[in-house]
Amino acid sequence: MPGKLFVRRRDGRVEVRLNDAGRGVIREAFAHVVAAERDPEHDWHLSLNAPINPSRDDDDPLSALARQNDIATNAELSIMTLNEQFLNDAEAWAWLSTLQVALRSMAVVNGILSDEKLDSCELELLQEIRTIQQLLFDLAACF
Amino acid sequence: MTSLKRLRSSSIESDVKSDLETNVAVVTQRPWNVIVWNDPVTPMTVVVVVFKRIFGYSNNKCTHLMLTVHHEGRAVVWSGQRERAESYCVKLQVAGLQATVEQDA
Repeated sequence: MPGKLFVRRRDGRVEVRLNDAGRGVIREAFAHVVAAERDPEHDWHLSLNAPINPSRDDDDPLSALARQNDIATNAELSIMTLNEQFLNDAEAWAWLSTLQVALRSMAVVNGILSDEKLDSCELELLQEIRTIQQLLFDLAACF
Repeated sequence: MTSLKRLRSSSIESDVKSDLETNVAVVTQRPWNVIVWNDPVTPMTVVVVVFKRIFGYSNNKCTHLMLTVHHEGRAVVWSGQRERAESYCVKLQVAGLQATVEQDA
């Protein structure tokens, strides 16, 4: 894909230079995060509820609730702004966070916990991961 | 005179007790560390940007921490009070990084 997919403009907004296919990839990732946050049966649900303090049986409910709220808020804001050409800073940060949550969930669910596992995963999954990594790489350059 | 001795004695006892209490307090208030763990998919630039945004560290410090995570598998990115450590950990998890808290050994 030639050129940058996201560009920080002088007025502070982030310009989204994605075609329909690119927005489709993002839409799917955002939708999975929203669904996983709401549905305890969703494959990604556990990865969104990783332990905060592994030495305790249960995490502080307030911290867990804060995480749940923030992930859901970011994902919903991302979906609401999916078709925008320009994002403000908070919206762009919500996109980055939600895409990164989706990327890690995808890796955890597929057991990709090492470089070797990543290299040996199915081609289709690898391409999906590389696409999201490229999107994240370009979006991170705006911050 | 006797009463003065008593006063001195109790003063010394008080100091010793105070010192002991201080030592106990130091032992129980070990800092809590926020740990970020390596994973094979997160782009390095994302890790740097998240550290910068959440902690406000300099570019150099964020890059150094990111490289520590990458090479050593984990890095302590913040230390201090438990409540703040958990709050930072949640922020890192919300940003999609693998983070936990643990008390300093």
